Amino acid sequence: MVFQEHQIRDKILIEYKYTMGGQSKFFIELMNNKKILGTKCRKCKKVWLPPRINCSECYEDTDWIELPHTGTIQVSTIVWYGAAAFIQNVPYGCAFIKLDKADTAMFQGVFSENLVPSKLKKGQRVKAVFKKKENREGKMTDFFFVPEDEWERWINKPEYEGGD
Amino acid sequence: MRKVAIIGVGITPFLSRYLDKTYFELAYDATKLALNDCNKQGIEITHKDLESTVYGIYNELFERQFMPDIFINSYIGMNDKPGTRIASGGATGGYTVRMAYAEVASGLSDLCLCLGVEKCNDCYDEKTGATTPQVLNAIAYSADMTYEYPMGMMAASSYVSMVNAHFEEFGSPSEEQMALVSVKNHGNAINNPIAQSPMKITVEDVMNSRIICYPFKMLDCCLYSEASACLILASEQKVKELGVENPIWITGVGAANTDCFIGNRESIGRLYSNINAAKAAYKMAGLDYDNIKNQIDVAELHDAFSGQEVISYEELGFVPFGEGGKWIESGGPEIGGELPCCPSGGLIGCGHAVGATGIMSTGEAALQLRGDADKHQVTIEKGRALAHSIGGPGAAYAAIIIMENEEAKK
Repeated sequence: MVFQEHQIRDKILIEYKYTMGGQSKFFIELMNNKKILGTKCRKCKKVWLPPRINCSECYEDTDWIELPHTGTIQVSTIVWYGAAAFIQNVPYGCAFIKLDKADTAMFQGVFSENLVPSKLKKGQRVKAVFKKKENREGKMTDFFFVPEDEWERWINKPEYEGGD
Repeated sequence: MRKVAIIGVGITPFLSRYLDKTYFELAYDATKLALNDCNKQGIEITHKDLESTVYGIYNELFERQFMPDIFINSYIGMNDKPGTRIASGGATGGYTVRMAYAEVASGLSDLCLCLGVEKCNDCYDEKTGATTPQVLNAIAYSADMTYEYPMGMMAASSYVSMVNAHFEEFGSPSEEQMALVSVKNHGNAINNPIAQSPMKITVEDVMNSRIICYPFKMLDCCLYSEASACLILASEQKVKELGVENPIWITGVGAANTDCFIGNRESIGRLYSNINAAKAAYKMAGLDYDNIKNQIDVAELHDAFSGQEVISYEELGFVPFGEGGKWIESGGPEIGGELPCCPSGGLIGCGHAVGATGIMSTGEAALQLRGDADKHQVTIEKGRALAHSIGGPGAAYAAIIIMENEEAKK
């Protein structure tokens, strides 16, 4: 018997309105005040970013602390082919960035006027750039990082601004 | 704990697409292959003798079915028996072997089916008319969905971070050293009939292939695959009862989950899951982390990306840290080298059918110990083999299985 193929078109779509629970303050301060908040363990003093309201090592509560908008690239890559949701953005840079005063590194986008691996090397100093208030939604996509020497030019673009 | 042996192996071909099979039909095929493998050895069992199943299925979005295991359970005739599903990212296969081992070692079952399947390429991107962007999207949902996914985190950008950081720290592996893994594994796959990507290529071909995620290029990455792989595990009592002549004993199972947030780790350039899983497996098997290269005959590694195989040589204790690149340059992991790694072709050569992959690797290693690996058979002297699985966000999950053939050791 000759095999005859049959395929069915379909998609799975689920809508969400999900709570950020104890981490909500991070997103509210990001959206309203361009602040980047980490949390500091009351016992071991470790500074978590992304923030955790509990220290996973000490089983103690943490306190919110405001972090500087500057940090250092720990490792990076430039993505040239990707998932459907991001394929229109390639090439894009991303990196694990340790903000000054934080003990952990956060994954974030790194934009550059000259997107080459040498511009995103380990040790590169970077600074946060924010979307304008009307475009901020309380999500990680409200901000990104740029090499420190490009920061002035990025925040002067009409769609972006610097923090305080 | 009771002794546990692999008595049957079934692996379907790894293909880019099965238009003539659903995931449960593929799972049936692998089960039947494993039962046939038993029967060929004179082990008289049918599916009715199997007491339980442990299913390895990574991603519901691939299968377009939440709880796909229960539908397989129906199709393979395992109704009214216990079945448990394992989902641990790219390490699903290794973790499934671990749990099937536990099912038998604990005494819950005497004959257990360890069955992995994945069918990813039913995902389809209407916009580009290709499967891959949607497959990658379905995988990308494994990243942290709030802090990392929106930034464009995906499998390649996650693994490449560890490999790039490892290079920063140790100056290894270089792009050319990574390319050697691709050349080796595509080449080994030529002798494996189930492999999806058998190819004779050069370092230059890899270096010239299109950039995916700096510095990974197309030929540094495995392809997503559709396949099913299956093991039949038996207790010592059952091995005796059935008169199994060539049981492959599982002597070490080690697993560890490291922090899924790469930025939380002490060093980004280490896969701590690998190191801890390896140490646990070797300890259980009575082997030595610092001398493991001389204690096993073959290793089936999880080479989702070429650079990751190189750093695995170091983390699994084959060579000191920083020397993985030099080791592949010297031919150490080649067939005929100090310790053949991925003689099957691995993921780069065979393809990556996630839930099935680690079970395929374990099955391949078991077939090597049995002397049944046909054209890609390596020399077995010590009677021991290793199978490695790693995966998940930031390669957080890892599982390592050590197997022994007591006959080969004599």
